[in-house]
Amino acid sequence: MVITGRLVLLALLGVIPVVLYPGATSILLWAGILAALAGLDLALAASPRRVGLVRTLPDSVRLGEQCRSTLVLRNDTARRLRVTVREAWQPSAGAADPEQSVRVPPGEARRLTVTLLPARRGILRVETVALRSTGPLGVAARQVTVPAPGVLRVLPPFHSKRHLPSKLRRLRELDGQSAVQIRGAGTEFDSLRDYVRGDDVRSIDWRGTARRRDTVVRTWRPERDRRVVVVLDTSRTSAARILDEPRLDTGIEAALLLSVLAERGGDKVHFLAFDRRLRARVDSTAKGNLLGSLVSAMAPLEPELIEADWSRVPAQVRAASAHRSLVVLLTSLDSGAVEEGLLPALPGLTQRHVVVVASVRDPRLEEMSADRSTAAATFRAAAAERALLDRAAVAHQIRLLGAEVVDAVPADLPPQLADAYIRLKAAGRL
Amino acid sequence: MTSGATPRAAHGAQATELPSAAGGTSARPRTLPGGKTAGSAVTGSEVTGIEVPGGEATGREVMGDGGSVLTTARSRLRRALPLIAGAVVLAVILLINLLPGSEKDDRPLSPGNPAPEGARAVAQVLAAQGVDVVRPASYDGAMESLRTGTATLFLNDALGYLSAGQVADLTASADRTVLAAPGARKLTALDEDFTLLGPLPFDLGDDSPDLAADCPDAAATAAGTVSATGTAYSGGIECFPTTIDGGTGGLYVTSVDGSVAILGAPSILSNGSIPDEGNAALALRALGSSPTLVWFEPTGADVVSSGEGVNPFTLLPDWVDYLLVWLLACSVLAMVWRGRRLGPLAAEPLPVVVRAAETAEGRARLYQDSRSVAHAAATLRAATLTRMARRLRVDRSASPGEVLEAAARHGERPRAELEQRLLHYTPTTNRELVLWAQEILDLEKEIP
Repeated sequence: MVITGRLVLLALLGVIPVVLYPGATSILLWAGILAALAGLDLALAASPRRVGLVRTLPDSVRLGEQCRSTLVLRNDTARRLRVTVREAWQPSAGAADPEQSVRVPPGEARRLTVTLLPARRGILRVETVALRSTGPLGVAARQVTVPAPGVLRVLPPFHSKRHLPSKLRRLRELDGQSAVQIRGAGTEFDSLRDYVRGDDVRSIDWRGTARRRDTVVRTWRPERDRRVVVVLDTSRTSAARILDEPRLDTGIEAALLLSVLAERGGDKVHFLAFDRRLRARVDSTAKGNLLGSLVSAMAPLEPELIEADWSRVPAQVRAASAHRSLVVLLTSLDSGAVEEGLLPALPGLTQRHVVVVASVRDPRLEEMSADRSTAAATFRAAAAERALLDRAAVAHQIRLLGAEVVDAVPADLPPQLADAYIRLKAAGRL
Repeated sequence: MTSGATPRAAHGAQATELPSAAGGTSARPRTLPGGKTAGSAVTGSEVTGIEVPGGEATGREVMGDGGSVLTTARSRLRRALPLIAGAVVLAVILLINLLPGSEKDDRPLSPGNPAPEGARAVAQVLAAQGVDVVRPASYDGAMESLRTGTATLFLNDALGYLSAGQVADLTASADRTVLAAPGARKLTALDEDFTLLGPLPFDLGDDSPDLAADCPDAAATAAGTVSATGTAYSGGIECFPTTIDGGTGGLYVTSVDGSVAILGAPSILSNGSIPDEGNAALALRALGSSPTLVWFEPTGADVVSSGEGVNPFTLLPDWVDYLLVWLLACSVLAMVWRGRRLGPLAAEPLPVVVRAAETAEGRARLYQDSRSVAHAAATLRAATLTRMARRLRVDRSASPGEVLEAAARHGERPRAELEQRLLHYTPTTNRELVLWAQEILDLEKEIP
């Protein structure tokens, strides 16, 4: 049971009889009246336990966009329902009006809409709906918390999609000029043509010859569909925030742009999120829209506070794609973590694959290194220079091991990674 | 209708299923549930034709929480049980403390106080001798007890609560009165003529000669000598005489008819000194002469207002108390009204917040705290040389000399000056470090 402000006001009105007829009797009498009114109101209130709730919720919403969660209340009682409803969304769901009052006549239903503007990528949950059914006098209410779980998937925003048209144009311009590095005729069936003297008799297509009554040979072309494996590091280093965005989110943006671009470029894309275990995996060969599968697989990713186990990555890449592929590792180049984790595992990847290591650089380090106004600032500059030198050393080591390095500030990482992909494709290195 | 993110009507059970890799399993993410794609929003598709699938999930109808009023009440009661138990324990403790019997009586010369300065011994001996010791709580109670029969009044008003008139009235209604060291003002309204002489000179040693009775009063004569010192009075019959500032008086003074006695040394009644000398004889005879002894110790409540000061509470109308009680009840109601939440709190899983540049800042403070000026300078120099080499297209493996050679060729400064300023100078103090760091930054910027 719940009391309302009206009951408190009524109680304050009791000041008048208490002043006019001072004594315990008037106090007890007024308290009795209040208790009787509250009891009557409770008895007359519609039972909140007999209210049917149906929630309609979008499966997913992009970060930064609004969505609506609708709740249909059906009054199953024979009384008029005056109810205040609260949907217990977690605060980062950004519910604008989670608490609403509505009146539902007996046997009817009403729809409530809660506008959500999520503040963070991930899985948002609502576990309960609280109903407070007020009686006709409005002095007391019955309250029930109904378990009505709901889940909303907040997808990564994919801001980097604005780079996609220009990159796609550059990719299209490559068609027809890419150098093919495989010797021989290739393995992919291209077309049939008339036999010309000098053609390999082994390539005569007898079935086609029988149909055409003329000798026909098959022609082959080199494989065009290359494989791109994007490995996103979700270990502890991905939790670090650069310009108030976790490294993981920047990595997601870059992975999305690269995956969509590579898919449009006719390549097969495999996405892996990995730290010590596989956290998510998406293949473009599976049914459905690649981008849709990617964003919904990426939505629940969180930085895990554990060290990445890079020794297992080659096996994971092999499981995703058995052939020579472009392997993109989205990780960090912090010295220490890389030297012990990534560097020993890289040769295993570079032997078979073309490897690109992409990392977010912190623009704050450059700011720090340029500020030499005071002693403290100069020491900070020295520390920042140390970090940048270490980073450069790590990048150099990675290049020595035969991998490409893309090191850019958060806004530039996705387009620069896409550029690296286009460059490699143009050079026929895929 | 999709089941991916469908709220289920469950009686308390968690029935939420998450599609794909929510729990970190290596399950291949399913293609998104189709749902009602007709009404789904097409987002971001204007430019690139990319569509993020929408779709809505409508859950099953949920009704109630599977409980009833009775179960709710029962569970509330069960949850509140420890609180209730605690409140009961607290109330019992309070009650035990408030019980009158347990109140410790530690006033001096109180007939209930067994401490050395109390007077329980006298009261108990008198009671054993058949004297009814009455302890009225108030002035009116004392008057009442005195009126009922033959009674001796022992008035111990050490803090002087009673007025002279009250003392006179009490004395008048008692058959016999013993006043314990009354103040001079208290004696003014008495019928008998007593005056306060003053305190006996204080003796540091214990070997002061005990005072002898030296008077016709039976009680004093029986006592012979008393041990304690106190205040001397003059009046009808002065016993234990002494001389103060020229006047003569006694420690135990009675009126001529013996109906009023002043005990100038009430400390002889205390448990500590009652066995000494003739203290006990004087006390028992002085107090135990009638069947009832009214042992009155006035309290602050017996003070009568003399007109000049008015208790401000008496000016308030009589409904104020009730109003305050009622407003207290109202405030409790208001607290209950505002304190009730609409449903349980929603939990927010908070993300880890780590600033990436944090390690660099920490290292900077380490440099500063350990005053590693030379180390910081070496780092700054190496960074500057590396950047210069990159800008001048010199190989990374080139020595600093080669980098400066190239810099001298491209810039205006001769190589010797560059070498002197960049390589051969190492700052030793913070001040030098700042100036030098700014200088090499400028040198670096000079290179086109």
